Amino acid sequence: MTATGATHRIDLAAERFDPVTLEVIRHRLDKIAEEMQATLLKSSCSPIVKEGLDASASLFTLDGTTLAQACAIAIHLGTLIPAVGAIRAKFPVEQMREGDVYILNDPYCGGTHLPDFAVVMPVFAGGRPIALAATMTHHQDVGGKTAGSVPTDSTEIFQEGIRIPPVAWARAGVFDDTLTAVLRQNVRIPDIFMGDLHAQIAACKIAAIRLREAAEKFGDNALLTSFSVLLDRAEAMTRDALRKLAPGTYRAVDFLDNDGIDLDRRIRIEVAATIADGTIHFDLTGSSPQVKGPINCVPSGSLAAACFAVRAVTDPAIPSNGGCFRPITLTLPEGSIVNPREPAPVNARTATIKRITNTMLKALSGVAPDRVPAPNSGELLVMAWGGQRRDGTSFVTGELLAGGAGAGNGFDGVDAIETDATNCMNLPVEAMELDAPIRVTRWQLVAGSGGDGTFRGGRGQLKEYEILEDVAGTMSYSHRGERHFIAADGLAGGKPGALARSWITRADGTEEVIPSKIVTRLAPGDHVVITTAGGGGYGPPDARAVDAVGRDRADGKV
Amino acid sequence: MEDSPGMTASKTSTAEGAAIAGVSIGIDIGGTFTDVVCATADGTHILKVPTTRDDPGRAVLAALALLRDRFDIAPESIASFTHGTTIATNAVLERKGARVGLVATRGFGDVLEIGRQIRRQMYDLNLAPETPGWLAPGARRVEVTERIDATGAALTPLDETSLANAIAKLKAEGVEAVAVALLFSFLNPTHERRVRTAIEAAMPGIPVSISSEVDPVFREYERTVVTTFDAYVKPVVARYLAAMDRDLAKAGVPVPLQIMQSRGGLAGGEVARERPVRLFLSGPAAGAIGGQAAGREAGLDNLITVDVGGTSSDIALIDRGRVLVKSETDIAGYQVRVPMLDVTTLGAGGGSIAWIDTGGGLRVGPQSAGADPGPACYGRGGTEATVTDASIVLGLLDPSFFAGGSIRLDPALSLKAVDERVARPLGLTVEEAALGIHRIANAHMADGMRLVSINRGYDSREFVLVPLGGAGGLHAVPLALELGIGRVLVPRYPGVLAAAGLLAAPIEHEVSGAFLTPIADARLADLADAFAGLDARADGLMRAERIGGLARERLTLADVGYMGQSHYIEVPIDLAASDPLPALYRAFEAAHERLNGHKTGAAAKIVNLRVVHRAHRPAVAVGSAAPPDTGRSLKGRRHVLFPGETVRLDTAIHDRALIGASECLHGPAVIEQSDSTTLLPPGWSAEVTGGAALLLTRSAP
Repeated sequence: MTATGATHRIDLAAERFDPVTLEVIRHRLDKIAEEMQATLLKSSCSPIVKEGLDASASLFTLDGTTLAQACAIAIHLGTLIPAVGAIRAKFPVEQMREGDVYILNDPYCGGTHLPDFAVVMPVFAGGRPIALAATMTHHQDVGGKTAGSVPTDSTEIFQEGIRIPPVAWARAGVFDDTLTAVLRQNVRIPDIFMGDLHAQIAACKIAAIRLREAAEKFGDNALLTSFSVLLDRAEAMTRDALRKLAPGTYRAVDFLDNDGIDLDRRIRIEVAATIADGTIHFDLTGSSPQVKGPINCVPSGSLAAACFAVRAVTDPAIPSNGGCFRPITLTLPEGSIVNPREPAPVNARTATIKRITNTMLKALSGVAPDRVPAPNSGELLVMAWGGQRRDGTSFVTGELLAGGAGAGNGFDGVDAIETDATNCMNLPVEAMELDAPIRVTRWQLVAGSGGDGTFRGGRGQLKEYEILEDVAGTMSYSHRGERHFIAADGLAGGKPGALARSWITRADGTEEVIPSKIVTRLAPGDHVVITTAGGGGYGPPDARAVDAVGRDRADGKV
Repeated sequence: MEDSPGMTASKTSTAEGAAIAGVSIGIDIGGTFTDVVCATADGTHILKVPTTRDDPGRAVLAALALLRDRFDIAPESIASFTHGTTIATNAVLERKGARVGLVATRGFGDVLEIGRQIRRQMYDLNLAPETPGWLAPGARRVEVTERIDATGAALTPLDETSLANAIAKLKAEGVEAVAVALLFSFLNPTHERRVRTAIEAAMPGIPVSISSEVDPVFREYERTVVTTFDAYVKPVVARYLAAMDRDLAKAGVPVPLQIMQSRGGLAGGEVARERPVRLFLSGPAAGAIGGQAAGREAGLDNLITVDVGGTSSDIALIDRGRVLVKSETDIAGYQVRVPMLDVTTLGAGGGSIAWIDTGGGLRVGPQSAGADPGPACYGRGGTEATVTDASIVLGLLDPSFFAGGSIRLDPALSLKAVDERVARPLGLTVEEAALGIHRIANAHMADGMRLVSINRGYDSREFVLVPLGGAGGLHAVPLALELGIGRVLVPRYPGVLAAAGLLAAPIEHEVSGAFLTPIADARLADLADAFAGLDARADGLMRAERIGGLARERLTLADVGYMGQSHYIEVPIDLAASDPLPALYRAFEAAHERLNGHKTGAAAKIVNLRVVHRAHRPAVAVGSAAPPDTGRSLKGRRHVLFPGETVRLDTAIHDRALIGASECLHGPAVIEQSDSTTLLPPGWSAEVTGGAALLLTRSAP
C-alpha cells in the first residue's frame, strides 16, 4: 500500500510548480465558481431558484473535467459532468468560438430531469479556449402535463416537458431565433423561462471575465498547467483518504416507499461498495427494475450520490474538483431504477438520489465509524397546495419538511433537519398564513420518534394545517412522502427511528391515511396532519446515561 | 498585536483651534486588550492594557489610574465616557447567560428548536443542532392558549388559566429571565403585553423580553430566537453595566456610561440594558465607525476597511460616507435577526497557521494559534508557523519593537517554525516559504474584499483601503494591488481604531414595526400614523439619553421586497417629498439592481417601517496634527523582503510620531508606531493628510 502510495504523490518541487501560486490559483477558481453561483441565484427570476437555491455552477477543463464547483445543494454534485460530456461529443472544443452558447436538458442525453437545463459556454484567453463554464438551473416550468413540470403520476418522459438534446443556441454570439421560438412555444411562462436561461448565460460570462483576468495575471500557460496539477492533487488526496479505509466489499439495502403509481410495491436500493487500493466502486446491482412512476434516476444521480458519500466518509476539506471523482466507479444495471431505459419518467428522482446516498453511507458506516452516524430519516416531504379564493384570486403554496438525523457515537441525532443530498428551508407559519387560505394549528417535534439508543436519533416533526373558509370549492393537494413504510435503521445496537405518518381529517370527521404519496383535493374545514420520520439511534438503549434519560423526559423528548 | 502583558502609551498634540469641552474617553474591551483613546484639549493619548476577563472593570480602572498618573487627567474632568463591549457575545460563547423560560402559543412550543431545518455543514454527517434550543430547553418552554390570526385579530383570546399554569411552571423551573414570543404578535401585541404584566406581578424582579418589542417582524422562528437571546443576556448585561457605573462613580467620573450598539450608534447604559440584544458585536461596529471617521477627516468617503486581528479579519465597505447595515448577523454560530453594521469576518489573521495538506499544497488558516500559545516567536510553546512568524522572517516587523516594545519576540523561533513546518516539506527556502504564507493570507483577505465590493456591484478601484488593527498596515499595499486600489489611508492610530470610533459615533436609537402592505395599496395617512407611533417610541428612548441641545437627525426607512419574494431591502422613504411612494419604488428597484444584479419592474410590498433618531456629538479630533518637519522620523535601516519582491531591500525605518506634516516618504520604507506597523513597498509614497492620517499612493505603475 505504501509503495504504490508514493507513486501517486505529486512532488510539486520536482515539477517546478510553485505551491504558493497553486494555492492562490485554487482559491481564485473556487471564488470564481462562487461568484458564478451568486450571479446565477441573484439574477434568476423564479422562486425555486431564488428561495430554493436549486441551481449550480461549475468550471470545466477543455477535456470535460470539473475544475471548481460552487454547490448550493449536493444533489447537483457531478450532474454537470455528463452534460458537458454530451456537448463536447457533439461540438468539438477546437471548433468552438467565443460567444457560443450550448444547451441541453434531456436526461437521456446527459441531463438529469427535464426542468434542469444545462448551459455551457467556452472561455477564451489569448485567442484560444482555455476552459468551459457550465451552469445548471431547475426551471419553474418546461411544459408537459402539469404546471411546474414535475407530475407525480407521469408514466413516460414525454409527459414531463420539452426535451432538448445537446444543441448550439448561439454561435459566436448570434442566437438561433428558430430554437428560441420553439423553446418559448413549449413552456407555460416563456418570459420567466427565458429570464432564467439568460441568468445562466450571465453566470457563464462572469466566469469568462474572471478567468481571463486570472490568465492575464498568472499567464495562460501557467494557468492551464495549474489546472492539471490541481486535479492530480485532489485525486491523490482522495486516493490517500480511501487508502486509510479497510479494503473490502460492504453492502447495504434500503427501500423507497413506492413510485406514486403502484402504492403497495416497495422499491429496493442495493449497494455493494468495494474499497481497494485507493479506489472505490459502487455496484447497484440488485436494485429494483425501473418503475412506472417518475422516481427513476438516470446515472448522473448515482454519481452525485457517490461523490457526496465519498467526500463525507473521507475528508470534506479535499478541494472539490474532477480529480476527486477519478477514483470512483459505478455499476448501474441497465433497465433498473438507477439506469432506466428511455422513455421512463424521471422527474421525482430527488427522493431516489437521497435514498441512494443514504444506502451508500449505510454500507460504509462500518469502515468509517467516526464519520458515519446511524441512518437519517433521509426524507424530504414535498407538499403543494393550489386553488382559488372566494374573491377569485388564485394561490399556490408549497412546503418541504425534513425528518430527524441519525445519532452517532457520542451525540444524539439533530431533530427535524435537512440531511445528505438536499438542504432546503421550511416555510414559517406566519409566511404561509399571510399568503394562503391555510392556517397552521400545530407545529411540534414528535416525542419518542427518534430511534432509541445510547445516543438517541433525531425527532421528526408534526405539522397540522387547516383549510380555511376562504377557499372557493376545493383545492388541489399533493403529498410526496418517504419513510412511511420502511424506517431509518439504528446502528451498533440502536433502534430504528419512527415511521412517517400523515392523514387527512375531513370536515365531517372521517380520517384518510396518506400512503406516502397522493394527489387529492381538500375543502374548507379539512385538516391535514403530517409527521416526518425519526433518525436511527446509536448503541444499545440500556447504555444511555441516566442523566440523559432524565433530561429527555423533563424536556418532553420521549 | 495579539497579546501583551505590558501596556503602551503615546501622545500627540492637538490640531490648532480644535476646541474640545472636557475630556472624551473611548474604551474598547476586546478579548485580549482593553484599548483606550483619550482626547483632551491639548492632545490625544492612547493606552493598551491587558483585559481582565474575570472583572473587565478592573482594566478600565487601571486605565483611568494610568491616565491620571501619567498624563495628569483627573477622572472629574471626563465629559464623555464611551464603551464598546463583548459582554453580550461572551455570555453566549461561554454559555453564562440567564436560565431562560420561553412562553409560546399553544401548539408551537418547539419553534425555537425546529428552526428553518437547513444545515451549514454540507458534508459533515455528524450534525450538531443549528438552532439554540439550549437557551430554553423543553422543560422551560411553556404554552399559553391564545391565537392572533394573519390579520391581527384575536382568533382565540388569551386564556388566563393557561397563563397562570404557565407561570407556575416557570416558577417551579427557577427561571431567571423570560422570553415571550407568540404568533403574529407583531400585528397585535396585546397578548404578549398581558403575559408580561402577569409575569412581572407573579415573579417580581425577573426581566421579561417580549417579541413585539424586541423585533416586531414576521417569521416566528427568527423573532423567537432574537427575543430569547435578549432575555438570555439581559441579567448579565444589567449586572455588568451597573458594576461599571459603580466603578466609574467611585473613581470620580461624573458622567454616565455610553455603550456602542451593533448598528453603530451609542446608547446610554440605562437604555442599553433594556435592549441588550443590540449590544452584540459592538467592537467590529466601532472599528467600522472609526474607519468612517478617519475617512471623513481626510475628506474621503468611499472606503474599504480591513481590520487584521489575531485569528480573523473584519472587512467593511463604506459607500459615500455610509456604512451599510445588515438585518441579521451570526452570533456564536446562530443567525440572529439584529441590525448590525455590515462587517464581513474571515478566518485569516496574524495568528493563522500555515500547514501542508495531504496533497502537498500549502494552506493558511482557518486554524489559529490565537493568543495562547500565539505565534512561535512569542516563545510560549507555539511551534506552528503563523503569518506573524512569516512577517518576522521577512523583516517586516522589528522583534524588539512589537506592540511598542512591550513584548519581545524571538526571531529564531519564527525562523525555525517556518523552516520546519513549511520550507523543508515543500523544498523551498525559508524566505520563499514566508513570502508564500503572506501571499496566501493576502489572497484570502483579497477575496473577502472582492466579496464586499466587486461581487456587490462596487468597483473596488474607486475605493480607498483603510487598514486597521495591529497588522492591517502589513497587508494593506499587497491587498490594494490585488484589487486595483491606488490609495491607502492609514489612520493615526490604526491599532486602537475601534476605541477611536467610539469617540466619533453618534447617539442613536432605532425602532421598527411591521407594515405589510403592497406599495400600490399603501396610503400616505396610514404611513404617517405608523411613523408617528415609531417616532414616539424613539423619542422616548432619546429623552432617556438626556442629550440636551445636540443637533438631532431623523431617518425614515422602509423594508421593501417584490411581491412573493421572501427577502427585502432597507430603503429610505421621505413622506415630505412629492410622490413619496413612486420614489420609494424607484429607490427599491435601484438598490435591488445594485445588490442582486437585476430588477424586474414587478409589484413590490412594504414589509417593515423603521425610524432612526440620531444625535451628533461635537466632533472630537483624535488624530491631531503632525509635528512640523523635523527630519527626525528616520529611526534606522534594515533589510526587508517585501511581499511581491524577490530580494531583500535596504529599507528606511520611520517613527510614525515624528513624520512631519509636509514630509513625503518613498518606498521601500517601514513605518513603525506603538500600535501598528505599516509597509511602504517600492513604487509607493506616503504623505500626511487630514486627521494626521497617512495617505499612501501608488507612484509607479
